[in-house]
Amino acid sequence: AEVEETLKRIQAHKGVIATIVVNAEGIPIRTTLDNSTTVQYAGLLHQLIMKARSTVRDIDPQNDLTFLRIRSKKHEIMVAPDKEYLLIAIQNPCE
Amino acid sequence: LQVFDEEGKDVTPHPLFHSDPNTVVPRQGKLLASSAYFGATGSVFLSSFSMHQPSGANASLEQKRSRLLTSYNFSDVQVRQEEIKEELTKADLDRRVDLYLTETETVWILDMPSVVVSVESEDAGRVLERNRIYVDICTNRPGNDRFVEKMMQTINGAAKNKEVQCDKIIMEDKGMMVTSWDLYDSFHISEIEPTSKAEGSRTTTGKSSKSHTTKEHDRTMSVSSDRGSTTSSTMILESAVLARIHEEEECHSEAVLTSENFQQDLFFMERILMENIFQPKLAAYRQFPVLTDPDVTSDTSGTVAAVKEAKQEKHDKEKKDKEEQKEAFIDPSILSGLNKTPEEIVPPRLERLWSYVCDLTNGHSVSSMVWSKVNPDLLAVGYGAFDFKEQKKGLACCWSLKNPMWPERIFQCEHGVTALDFSMASPNLLAVGMYNGSVAIYDVRSCNDAALLDSSESSNKHTGPVWQLRWVEQDRGATGDGKKERLICISADGRITEWLIQKRLDCTDLIKIKRTESEKKKLPGEKERKSEALISQQAAGMCFDFHPKDTNFYLAGTEEGHIHQCSCSCNEQFLKTYRGHKGPVYKVAWNPFSTDMFLSCSADWSIILWHQDSQTPILTFSSATAFVHDIMWSPKSAFIFAAANESRVEIWDLSVSTLNPVISLFANPRVKFTSVLFAKNTDCLLVGDSKGEVSVFELQNLAAPNSNKV
Repeated sequence: AEVEETLKRIQAHKGVIATIVVNAEGIPIRTTLDNSTTVQYAGLLHQLIMKARSTVRDIDPQNDLTFLRIRSKKHEIMVAPDKEYLLIAIQNPCE
Repeated sequence: LQVFDEEGKDVTPHPLFHSDPNTVVPRQGKLLASSAYFGATGSVFLSSFSMHQPSGANASLEQKRSRLLTSYNFSDVQVRQEEIKEELTKADLDRRVDLYLTETETVWILDMPSVVVSVESEDAGRVLERNRIYVDICTNRPGNDRFVEKMMQTINGAAKNKEVQCDKIIMEDKGMMVTSWDLYDSFHISEIEPTSKAEGSRTTTGKSSKSHTTKEHDRTMSVSSDRGSTTSSTMILESAVLARIHEEEECHSEAVLTSENFQQDLFFMERILMENIFQPKLAAYRQFPVLTDPDVTSDTSGTVAAVKEAKQEKHDKEKKDKEEQKEAFIDPSILSGLNKTPEEIVPPRLERLWSYVCDLTNGHSVSSMVWSKVNPDLLAVGYGAFDFKEQKKGLACCWSLKNPMWPERIFQCEHGVTALDFSMASPNLLAVGMYNGSVAIYDVRSCNDAALLDSSESSNKHTGPVWQLRWVEQDRGATGDGKKERLICISADGRITEWLIQKRLDCTDLIKIKRTESEKKKLPGEKERKSEALISQQAAGMCFDFHPKDTNFYLAGTEEGHIHQCSCSCNEQFLKTYRGHKGPVYKVAWNPFSTDMFLSCSADWSIILWHQDSQTPILTFSSATAFVHDIMWSPKSAFIFAAANESRVEIWDLSVSTLNPVISLFANPRVKFTSVLFAKNTDCLLVGDSKGEVSVFELQNLAAPNSNKV
């Protein structure tokens, strides 16, 4: 489907280290990393997303979190959260 | 009509009740009396009791009352319930119910008259008098005979102890973290229809079913993070949903992948990735300062700094090395030229930023490019070959600035695409002209591949390739309609047609281009047969351009090398003919600033600048021995235009030199440049080539225009 195509394209991009799709429970649906790392990312990011979302909504309850980007020295982690899933992409933009 | 108890339970009564108007009044009286007995319940109830009930639908309200009073165990109310049953029709329920609210009499529960009287009241005098008497009595009392002191005893009743037992009151401590979104959500939940509430109750029951401590610890993360504190109703819903997922894992992941949100998020993610990769290029395009990452040692590059906000604030750090390691199509040698020393006078150059290319378009030759009229970042590119021999299926793609690696829309066409244009009036319409002469209109809003309208069924369609097509706004002064837009095309069968968009695409001819003889033999404009038989009386039209100021005039270039000036109001004859080219004229373009001049390019290796009134060329530019496929005036300066030869892209600046182009960019050997397009909002040039690549170049150091007249 078009979803698969887009996912493949994203995975093939320059500098993209990993692409992870996790469902709301924390179970990875699609991943390009090994399972333990995936699960670690998923768990940690889920908590962070909840906190970020809580922050955004505390300020204005009608607002909601749509995207989160974390820029670190080595990578950039991008998370698109939703009620049912988390879409995570890790890119290494300097490489 | 729905009725809710104080507890929020749905106590919509079923219509068993038929209220008899005769019995209304005594019933009310009885209820009033009995409710006064239980007066503590307050006047709210009482006001509801006194509602008048003219129609049978209000039986439900009586039911409500009776429900509320059942706790008080009214036997007479029960009796009334069973007395009369009525079938209410559905119409009754939908009928408008009139409720009359009246106020009951005030019931005094406690009346303590005050002991204070205002000095100004009527009784004040009397009260003062009585007070004075009382004070006198008090003062007289001690020694007076009239007062005697006496002791009395009152009976104290015997106290009796009585024991009472009650159920233990269970106390529970609950802690809650209140966040404003929590409150907001809870309020909103109560406004959502009962269907979702039913779903909520279903999932809360499911919550208790499974404990999933067997799996990895992350799954209980949502529960562990709110240890000890409960969450609002929505959170319960979520965690309950988690429990359900445990049973339905498979189908749920499918649902995730196919959900629309997911597609959208993927789309955004791709764009953001692109942004990361292409940031310096895009910044150069928009003339932002290119930011570099302080973590990586690199020299800062400076481009023209037009200060704008927003896009940059997220990208505090960018790294320069990543530019060097891009995919193959970026030439690092050009990039090193980014560092310019301000002291030298740097010659104007074209700097390559990026290319719009993807697997799909590789191999197709770019035939035309056009910007969207409303969104200056949206580009439509048509792919199709010019030559007869190389025909294959064509493609029209819409590319967005935000994603240079994959087009936003892909429309597959049966035949090679030779011309494209976006409409101005309805900016989502894209008209596409094809090699077989048909015209199709696509709606770029939808991702659908099918054309909105196609001209294949039209009987009047072109029989030769549509070489150019354009939406033209025209004043319809006579009809008073204001500006209307028409779709005009020119094709190799010698007709310039105007297409009408109704249910089917149909066209009418504006003019037929007739063959004109050369100057030596005949006067221009007459049609006469030569002694040899001509295959057709019509000359193939290759291009046209409407006058920027007066849209009644237009120029048409033909395959014979003539350029005709025509008018929309006259479709028999040309107004003027300009002869000068010896080969097919591929493009004509009016100068947008000094509108008496126009430029034409042709396969005879030359570009000619004409003045409207003179029939001989003013200036001729020839710099290469190759067909000139495309020219375009710069939207910023009256002197600058770009030309695409087969092997080079040239920028001419007439204020600098009329003999040589100012910038000349050579192509890769196997590739031919086929079309050029200036960007309206920035100093960039787009060049399409025969391999299917549309490269974006930034124009640097071009002299600023100081006048707008040639």
